[in-house]
Amino acid sequence: MAQPFPYTYYSCDCYDSATLAPTSKRASHPARAEEEDERTFDPRNPRSNYSLYPLEHLLYCEDCRQIRCPRCVSEETLNWFCPSCLFEVPSSMIKSEGNRCTRNCYNCPICTSSMTVSSLEPPKVPTADDTGGLAGPFFLSCPYCHWSTLDIGIEFEKHTGITQQLARIRNGGKVVPTPKEREKERDKKRDAEARDESVAKADELSPEDLNPSEPPPQEELFSNLFAFYKSQLSLAAPSNPFSPHHDINFSSPSSFSRIMNLYSSTSSKKQKKDKPAPMREACSITEGLVPYNPSLDAAAVEALKTHGWSHTLSPTQKLHQTSPNTRFINELRPIPTLLRTKRGKRCRTCRHILSKPESKITSTRYKIKLLGLNHIPRLSVRALSSPIPLPTMAASTGSQGFDYARLSPGLPTHFLLTLSNPLFDPIRITLATPSTTAGKVQSRVTIMCPQFEVGANTDVWDDALSSGLTKRGATASTDPGSGTPQVEAGKIWDRGRNWTSVILEVVPGFLKPIPGFDFGLGGELAKKVDDEHELDEDDDVLEIPVFVRIEYESEVAAEDRAAAGAEHGRAGAAGGKEKREEAFWCVLGVGRIVGGP
Amino acid sequence: MSRPATRKAAPKGEYIETDSGNKVSRRAAITGTANITLGGRTVISADVHLRGDLHPSRPAPSSSNNGPARDAPPTSISIGRCTVVSAGCVVRPPSRVSRGAVHYYPMKIGDNVFIGPNTTISAISISSHVHIGAGCVIHPFAIIKDNVKILPNTVVPAHMVIPSGSVVAGRPARVVGEVGEGWGVSAGGAGGGALGGAGGQGWVEGGDLRELVRGIR
Ligand SMILES: [Zn+2]
Ligand SMILES: [Zn+2]
Ligand SMILES: [Zn+2]
Ligand SMILES: [Zn+2]
Repeated sequence: MAQPFPYTYYSCDCYDSATLAPTSKRASHPARAEEEDERTFDPRNPRSNYSLYPLEHLLYCEDCRQIRCPRCVSEETLNWFCPSCLFEVPSSMIKSEGNRCTRNCYNCPICTSSMTVSSLEPPKVPTADDTGGLAGPFFLSCPYCHWSTLDIGIEFEKHTGITQQLARIRNGGKVVPTPKEREKERDKKRDAEARDESVAKADELSPEDLNPSEPPPQEELFSNLFAFYKSQLSLAAPSNPFSPHHDINFSSPSSFSRIMNLYSSTSSKKQKKDKPAPMREACSITEGLVPYNPSLDAAAVEALKTHGWSHTLSPTQKLHQTSPNTRFINELRPIPTLLRTKRGKRCRTCRHILSKPESKITSTRYKIKLLGLNHIPRLSVRALSSPIPLPTMAASTGSQGFDYARLSPGLPTHFLLTLSNPLFDPIRITLATPSTTAGKVQSRVTIMCPQFEVGANTDVWDDALSSGLTKRGATASTDPGSGTPQVEAGKIWDRGRNWTSVILEVVPGFLKPIPGFDFGLGGELAKKVDDEHELDEDDDVLEIPVFVRIEYESEVAAEDRAAAGAEHGRAGAAGGKEKREEAFWCVLGVGRIVGGP
Repeated sequence: MSRPATRKAAPKGEYIETDSGNKVSRRAAITGTANITLGGRTVISADVHLRGDLHPSRPAPSSSNNGPARDAPPTSISIGRCTVVSAGCVVRPPSRVSRGAVHYYPMKIGDNVFIGPNTTISAISISSHVHIGAGCVIHPFAIIKDNVKILPNTVVPAHMVIPSGSVVAGRPARVVGEVGEGWGVSAGGAGGGALGGAGGQGWVEGGDLRELVRGIR
C-alpha cells in the first residue's frame, strides 16, 4: 500500500507463533520474549509484506490478549449487496443467480468504470407533457472512456431491466432466445430424441449445428452441460432409495450429501455392488458438446490480420469478461457489477467475535468492534526539525519544511517518535531497534531514550477539563524553534497526559558505497555491499524495525478473577492488580534516501 | 533544513472566522455566497473556488434545510461541520443538459470530510468521514458514501457510486480495498489525546477533524 511518509506499520506475529512449538501460551511467554530478543524483524523479508498492517486494520481479541490481523481472523458474510445500486441481494438469489448484480449495474469492459443508461434520441424540444426525454432506444455508455454498447451493436428498448434485455441480445443486435427459453427448447428437443431413438446419431448434428458462425454463448453451454449431467446422475443412481430420480438440486445440502453418499458407497462397497455403469459424455450440441470448428480459428487469424493488435484485449480486460473465449474488442460484453459483502470477523483461535457490523446496508455502525488501537500504543513518527505539515497545502509549495522523500545519506537526522497510550493504566515502554537497518543500504538508528513511561488514558471528562494543559504540552513539542530542550541521550523529549515523545536519531546509509570508506561496517561486510550494490526498487526506502514491549498493572477484571487463577492469577494477583505485558514489532517508514552523498 | 516555525505562508489574518466557527480564507474565490451553506468549523482554504453561482434554476425542494419555506435562495453547495477544503480546490455543482437548458443540481458534502489540495469536486453527494487525497478529480454526479478514502490523484468517473468503507484509487477509480475497522478512530478511543493522530497531529484520516480545524490559522 502506498502510504505517504512517515508511516507506522504493526506486525502481527500470528504466522511465526503458529510455526513455533505450540506450547502453553502463558508458560512460554518469557522464553519467547528471549527468542525474540535474538531475532530481528526484517521489513525487507518478503514474508513481512503479509504481517505488517496499519493500526486501524488490527483487531484485538480480549480472550487471547493478542492483536488480530486480517490473517488470523476468520470472516463470515452477513449479507451481499451491489456496490453500485446499494441493493441487498438475498443469499438465495446469490445461489441461483450468482454473485453479480442483476439490476442495471454494469462496468465498462474497457476501463471498469460503472456505466450509465442513456437515451439515443437527442433531448426533445421542451414540451409540457414530456417526461424528461426518456424516449428509447437506450444504450449503456461509459462516462470515462466513452465506450458504449453501440460499439458492439446493442441497443435497448427500455431503460430498466437491462440484464434481461442484454441476455437476449448478441453482439451485433441479433435477438436470441433467453436462457429460460433455450432450456425449454432443449428439453423439447431431448424429448423428441428420446421418442425416436432409432434415428441415426449422425442426424443430430445438422450441418448448421456443426458449423455455427460463432461458438455458443457461455451460459448456454453451461446450462446444457448442467442439464446433461443432472440427467446422467439421476440415471446412474436408480439404486439409491433416497434419490427422487429427477431434479437433483445441487445447491441444497441434502442432495449434495446424497451425491456424496453415491460416491462413497461406490468406493467402500465396491465388492458388494456392481461397478456403476460409466457415465457417458455429452455427445450432442443440446447436451453441451462443442465440436471443434476450424473456421472459428481461421476467422480469428483473419481478424488479427485485418484489424491488428489494437483489436485485441489486454489480459485484464479479458479476465474481466465472464466468457473465457473473448478475444477481440467486438466480442466484449458489459460486465455485470460484482457484488460486495458485509462481513463479521472472529478470532481464529478462540472463535470469539471481534467485529460485527450492523447488517443493514446503509448502516455504518458496528454491534461489536474490538480494535487493536484501543489496546496497543500508537507510534507516530515525524521529523523533529519541522513543524507538523499542514495537510491543506500542496506539497509542491514547499510549506512542508521537511522532505521525507529526500533524506540525505550520512547526515544525522532527528525524528520525534511519539507513543500514545489508549489504556486506562500507565504503561512502561521498552523500545529496541537494530543499530543498523537490514538490507543493502545500511542506516544507523539510535533511540535516545529506549525506556520510559506513558501516562494513563484518563477518561473523556478529564480530557475535557485538562485540555488546556495538554494543548500547552503539544505546542511545546511542536515548536522546537524557540528555546527547546536539547537532544540528550537517556531523556525523553516531551510528555503529555497519555503520550510521551522520544528522539530517534537516524543516519541514513549511502545508496552507493563510497570507495575507501566502509561506514563503520566490517571490511568484509563493506565488500559484500560493494559486490551487490545494484539496488532494487524501494531499496532506498528507509524503514526502521522497532520492537515495542509494554508492561503495566491492571485491575483484574471481575470475571477473570472469578474464572480462577489457573490462567492469569499466577502473574502476581496481589491487591486485585495483575501485571500484564505485551510485545510486538512495528516498522517506521521514515522516508526515502536520495542518491549520492 | 530547519526553518522558522511560522507555518502560515500568508500574511496575518489569512482566515475570516464566522460566528459558527467557519474559517474562510481571504484568498478563496467564492461566487454565489447566498447559495452556499457551511455547517460550522469548516475550513475553506486559499485559492479554493466555490461555485455557488451555479445553482438550480428551479426553486429548491421545500425539504431543504432552510426551515420555513420562505423565498430562500436555492442552495447549490452545502457543506457540513468540521470539513476541510484544502488549497486550490474547485467545488462545482454538477450539471446536466435537459430540455435544451443547463440545469445545476445542489451538491451536498457531509461532516468531517477532508478534501486534499488541488482537487476538483463535482460530486452530487459526499457523506461524512471521507478523506480525499490531493489532486483528485471527482466527476459530476458521483456519490461517495461514509468512511471512504480516496487516494491522491484518483479520477472518479461521473455517476460512480462508492459504497461506504471503500478505499478507492486509479484512473478511472476502482475500489482497491477496504478501510480497516479502526477507520477514523484516534488512539485512546473516546479520550484521544492531543497527539492521538497518525503523524502526532491530533487527528486521523476519516476521524473527527476538529483538531485539524483548530490548528489552521
Ligand atoms: Zn495475525
Ligand atoms: Zn446493482
Ligand atoms: Zn470505459
Ligand atoms: Zn481469541
